[in-house]
Amino acid sequence: MADRLTDALVAPLADVDPSSWAATLEEAKGTLAGLAVRRAGAGPFRVTGHEIRAALSSDATELAAQLPFAWSARTSRRALGLAAVRLLVAGDARSPVEAVRARLEESCHWVRDGSPCASQLDRWLAGLSPAGRAAVGAEAVTWATRLWCALDWPALGSTLTIGRDRWWDSPHSALLALRGRAEVRTDRANLVVLSGPRRESVRAELALVTLVDSLRARDGAVPGRVVGWWPDSGHLVRVEPEPAVLTLGAEAVGLVLGAAGAPVRSPA
Amino acid sequence: MLALLRGDTAARPRFDPELAGGLRAWLEDAAYEVVATRGEHAPPVFLGAGQLLGPPAGWRDGDALSEELLLSRLVHALFRQLVNEGGFDHPLRDALDGLRASGAEPLVRHIESLAPPARSALSETVASHAATMREMVPRFAPGWMPRTSDRVAIPLAGGRVVLHGSFDLLVGLPHPGTASLCALGLSTSGPWARERRCLHYLALLETLRSGTPPFRLALLETATGRYGVEDVREEHLRAIASHLCAWLATGPHG
Repeated sequence: MADRLTDALVAPLADVDPSSWAATLEEAKGTLAGLAVRRAGAGPFRVTGHEIRAALSSDATELAAQLPFAWSARTSRRALGLAAVRLLVAGDARSPVEAVRARLEESCHWVRDGSPCASQLDRWLAGLSPAGRAAVGAEAVTWATRLWCALDWPALGSTLTIGRDRWWDSPHSALLALRGRAEVRTDRANLVVLSGPRRESVRAELALVTLVDSLRARDGAVPGRVVGWWPDSGHLVRVEPEPAVLTLGAEAVGLVLGAAGAPVRSPA
Repeated sequence: MLALLRGDTAARPRFDPELAGGLRAWLEDAAYEVVATRGEHAPPVFLGAGQLLGPPAGWRDGDALSEELLLSRLVHALFRQLVNEGGFDHPLRDALDGLRASGAEPLVRHIESLAPPARSALSETVASHAATMREMVPRFAPGWMPRTSDRVAIPLAGGRVVLHGSFDLLVGLPHPGTASLCALGLSTSGPWARERRCLHYLALLETLRSGTPPFRLALLETATGRYGVEDVREEHLRAIASHLCAWLATGPHG
């Protein structure tokens, strides 16, 4: 598993025709500009992979019927797990158990000291009993261990970013923003940890990561590939940076906003 | 138990690299037969140990909150705390706090609403299981990478049949080609033979997930303290795969 996933992240990227890429990126920008203008006055809208999945999946009704967000061991495991993996990569912890424990203690310190670093999650954690915090920690340890053990970290190089989402704010409307989520970013690839069933919408969800990176690039540079990975099954899906992926991402955003008539195409 | 789990680290078994592929091909064939019978657009079949091997002793179909299920959830919550924190103070209270933080509010409310005698009896039973775990479950060094409730879900036939389960505890670092993981399962109600087969089922899922099965399985019965440790063999995996194929061919999923 470690080899296969790492190989997918470090494999060389195929050359992309710069003019074709630039033309498709301009087209995608045009599509997004149209969407932003049409949504003017409709209230702020943030498009994430979750919205794309909800718009395209057959389980859309189920997703839409989800309960309002509340912190729990399950909803906090990614944030805590990523913080733990950051400590492990930096060499500041020797094991996921130790790393998660350090992160939980940090939460309590921040809240007790009134630190501005304390987030809503930290306040929730600090309010739990020791047994409640242990349950949250156990869930985060499992999440972090799976990611930590799945990769050959030294092979990924030194320019690693762990768990930083990237946002693109529409220049045409302050109300529209896109979020690209990736758990691990290297100079040539992004790893997205997936959950739930394998689904047809996953390529469009991952295309959003490519689209956001492309829109943010000031020099029009082609971003890295996106690798989606289901820890539950070990399955991988690779989305290479091709012009068709930009189109797929922009069309998916259009579908989410209910403004696109054309069906979402899969890249060749 | 720790010594039994660890065994001889220099003698980790190597499994045929073709084993996982062969098992998957076998199961895929059976899953596609199910799809052919049910139709392409039928909802997916989710197949866990409960469907495959029947419910644990005392669990009643359609009764989501039987005493045995409550006990199982409470003991498993305590087990996670024991593995990660090394102990607990008040078994029932800690287990309820753990479940509450895990989002199992309805379950917690149900237990808290039990009449005092019933709640007291449950507390005593949980304490008894907790004492067994405290005595029997070893402290795992962080370097063993212990992780609890590690979920596995293997889609077959393009996701139309999903085999799923959850390891109570996995330890060890995966090494391609070498069986290096060890799994521990807890049983609060038995029967022993069923719980042992559940572990074989999970070993099969791990083989399909990572290409290599765990090398060793341990089962602890928290009511009695009975435990057993066994090496995973190809025969275990083939037997449970055969049972799965038979279930897919004749099971109540039409």
